Amino acid sequence: MKTNDIILQTVTKIVSFIILMFALHIFFAGHNNPGGGFVGGLLTSGAIVLLLLAYDIKTVANSLPIDFKITVAVGLLFAVGTGLGSFLFDVPFLTHAFGELTIPILGELHLNTAVLFDIGVYLAVVGSTMTIIQTIGEGE
Amino acid sequence: MAFQILLNFLLAVTWMFFESSMELSTFIVGYLLGALVIFFMRRFFSSRFYVYRLFSIIKLMLIFLRELLLSNLAVLKVVLSPKLDIQPGIFAMETRLTSDWEVTLLANLITLTPGTLVVDVSSDNKILYVHAMDIEDAEEAIEDIRSSFEKAIMEVSR
Repeated sequence: MKTNDIILQTVTKIVSFIILMFALHIFFAGHNNPGGGFVGGLLTSGAIVLLLLAYDIKTVANSLPIDFKITVAVGLLFAVGTGLGSFLFDVPFLTHAFGELTIPILGELHLNTAVLFDIGVYLAVVGSTMTIIQTIGEGE
Repeated sequence: MAFQILLNFLLAVTWMFFESSMELSTFIVGYLLGALVIFFMRRFFSSRFYVYRLFSIIKLMLIFLRELLLSNLAVLKVVLSPKLDIQPGIFAMETRLTSDWEVTLLANLITLTPGTLVVDVSSDNKILYVHAMDIEDAEEAIEDIRSSFEKAIMEVSR
């Protein structure tokens, strides 16, 4: 018998936004506080898993048309790219740089190329977690 | 649209609480990240991602400014020419727009671009009666412009 999941689905719609925002917070907190690409990525895939629990696999695949295998590849490209980028400035592989940037409204920003590497970690974690879960879910 | 903007606002406030900072810059960063999250989840909403609609509103404004400039120049040409060689007339124009504000907006846009003037709207909101300054050379071209306005308005309300 199919039960009516309206309560679960409605709550999921609200909660998943809060989880995704918190995942972004954790991701950007990584430099000075606990957090970073790995937990941020896991939290993001946690939000998608919640969607998978509330809806079925087809609905989520239609609503988020992302091939998570490609996400892993893009993440790895980010990581390698930041490593190779250091060659352009004639420094060893994976040397990171940082700088201050002042933007009119946002104020002073402390930008670090390690964030780009972290985006790579984030995408790879989201991609591999979702690939594992979706592959297991689709198998009969 | 209004719901998505409200949600984006709430997400930005949530972000300010996460960062425990009550600055404007934190709000703006949170708003941008919230827009990103809403874009990511856009297919769970019944309407389009609201930023698309924002873009079509800006497009409509640009179209209006262009038409305003071009048709003012056309009127200038008529006024400055020594011979009064124009043929005024009124024509009926059917519109596909349905809601009140769409018809009002279309009528105002037609009136504000010189050379044409909305005289009356039929009681079922389907036909606009437009007075044209020079109907001879313009009827076809004006219909084209109408469809560009009408299309842009439809894109906004879709």
